[in-house]
Amino acid sequence: MASAAAPAAQSAPPSLSLPPSQFARLQPHAYLLAHLSPPATSNQPSIRANGRAPSQFRITSANTGSLTHTNGSAVVRVGDTTAVCGVRAELLPTEDIASWSVSRSAAATTNKRRKLTDPTQKLTEEIGDESDLDADADDQSHIEDLNLLVPNLSLSTGCAPGFIPGAPPSSLAQSLSHQILALLHTTRLVRAEDLRVWYQPPNLGAEDLERHNESEQMDVDAEEAGEKDKEIKAFWVLYIDVMIVSLAGNPFDAAWASVLAALRDTKLPRAWWDIDNEMVVCSDAVSESHKLTLRGMPVASSFCVFEADAAAGWRAVIIPDAEEERQIEESNRKGVQRRWILADPDGYEEGLTQERACIVVDKKQGGKGKLVIVKMEKNGGWALDSEELRKLVDISAKRWEDVRQVIGQC
Amino acid sequence: MVGPTTSLTPLSRADGSASYQCPATGANILGSVNAPIELPGRRDALKPEDATVEVFIKPGTAPGGVGERYVEGIIKSMLGRLVLGREKSYARRGIVVTLAIVGGESKPRGDSYLTVLPALLQTSLLALLSASVPLSMTFSATVLGVNTLGEIIREPAPTDAAAATSLHVLAFSSKGHLLLNESRGSFDFDTWERIRQRALTICHGTLSGSPDGDVAMVEDVDGQPLEGVVRETVEDKYHQDYAWKIDAA
Repeated sequence: MASAAAPAAQSAPPSLSLPPSQFARLQPHAYLLAHLSPPATSNQPSIRANGRAPSQFRITSANTGSLTHTNGSAVVRVGDTTAVCGVRAELLPTEDIASWSVSRSAAATTNKRRKLTDPTQKLTEEIGDESDLDADADDQSHIEDLNLLVPNLSLSTGCAPGFIPGAPPSSLAQSLSHQILALLHTTRLVRAEDLRVWYQPPNLGAEDLERHNESEQMDVDAEEAGEKDKEIKAFWVLYIDVMIVSLAGNPFDAAWASVLAALRDTKLPRAWWDIDNEMVVCSDAVSESHKLTLRGMPVASSFCVFEADAAAGWRAVIIPDAEEERQIEESNRKGVQRRWILADPDGYEEGLTQERACIVVDKKQGGKGKLVIVKMEKNGGWALDSEELRKLVDISAKRWEDVRQVIGQC
Repeated sequence: MVGPTTSLTPLSRADGSASYQCPATGANILGSVNAPIELPGRRDALKPEDATVEVFIKPGTAPGGVGERYVEGIIKSMLGRLVLGREKSYARRGIVVTLAIVGGESKPRGDSYLTVLPALLQTSLLALLSASVPLSMTFSATVLGVNTLGEIIREPAPTDAAAATSLHVLAFSSKGHLLLNESRGSFDFDTWERIRQRALTICHGTLSGSPDGDVAMVEDVDGQPLEGVVRETVEDKYHQDYAWKIDAA
């Protein structure tokens, strides 16, 4: 059974002439199992059907700025899975927000509060971006309340045989869109400050004050008054559209990497409130546009669990206890392996596995800080417990370095 | 800690149903299960020897959106692994789980849904038991939050959940396996280990296994373990249904 696919057997033609590709289609489970557990006599390493080691990811490449009509774009390829992401920015004037006049008063009070705590903030700013997170905690709600980030993922591109082009979004596409949005919110990747268009009314009273009294005290007061009048006139809304052009398993990793690369590439034009026309106008000079400053760089890595026993999913009457399971695992360490954790599964492997895990990690201070887990999911089985998840977090940390290089280069 | 309020088979037309109310998170869920039924859209080419699990979630105040699709996917893949879909009369047929969020906070767009997820899972389990769908094991689920001080909050209220640095939903099988983990926010692995330990205690109590393999569930600070809530709900229902027989005896 195993020799059908092994390269060693190809030199000596097997008696049953069945090419490996047909065997893979007829007996997918046995085919993958034969690769992962070759007979001890053959001296073959345990390797996946696609030639990767169990914890090896596919080759990832990224390219940014491919689309000219967007504010930022990226194409990310993870093996044969390709995601194209475009970010378009649109202005949302605050007068179009129905609840703005109500919520603005709340914003003004928080502004005042921040000014009161200003001296302490300057001290903590030097410590790191932790304090910056706290300071932005309340205005982050702008992004969530006003829906300033609108991601959408489309699978109806003819990316895989199962997805009909032009069909309504499948539940997979919808849940992937939701996962991207939820991850954007929890990681707070985009800063609300980058998306605001401020207006500072000219301080007409300042001259008077200065003529009256040259003292510094008055000057500070005038500045304070000016700061207070500063108001938000519009927001940038980022429409983040991801098209999975080719799907060969693991769409989330590729989609998230493309969103990340596209946001890093995004440039917003300089916008200001034109008081004569009473509207927000933008500058078309590229030199005046500014890039988004993102918080951190979370990287997703997905895994699946391949069970050696094809019936493990349903012959459930004899499921061992969690404790027994651990003992079996210990005793089997040298013997036959029962299951494999496969990193970055391709389409073929996804069809053969039920249990999935997805871990999103980030490292603070550009990779020198400590590892932070942003999201950890595991579902569809009982093989992964804390011990296995700890290993997966370590693998994800390595993956973070690789993806950072790939995205950083483009 | 006030435990959840549950009832089995509150609906008479469905094959099985359950309601579940969690006082801490404020979630109030009504669930129904119809099984086994013929599914019109089912393709025979897709796993012909297995049953299909379908999950529908109806939020309280709004039509379902992408967030619901996502939670449906989570519950579906979890139940799909527990339901014995190859039992007699289940192959090629469907198990339809419908969960309606009757009370509690409405979810804004892009919300992680983690605070109601355990209640949805518990309701679906009770409804499946009420419909006597064959399962390989039962489970219990809980949600834990970690606040800015690093303290673990059990089943955080909506305001606590909004302020928490990370939220974790864990489900444990009746045999002690970790069936589901959904964690959001920023945390490190050691924190998660603490969370897992606490969640296991909430679901199973402090285990004191006796030599004959019987596991006694002991009450502690966390009140009655959730695994016991499932058992008691079913026991109560049986007592009610067989009251005539018990009285006669």
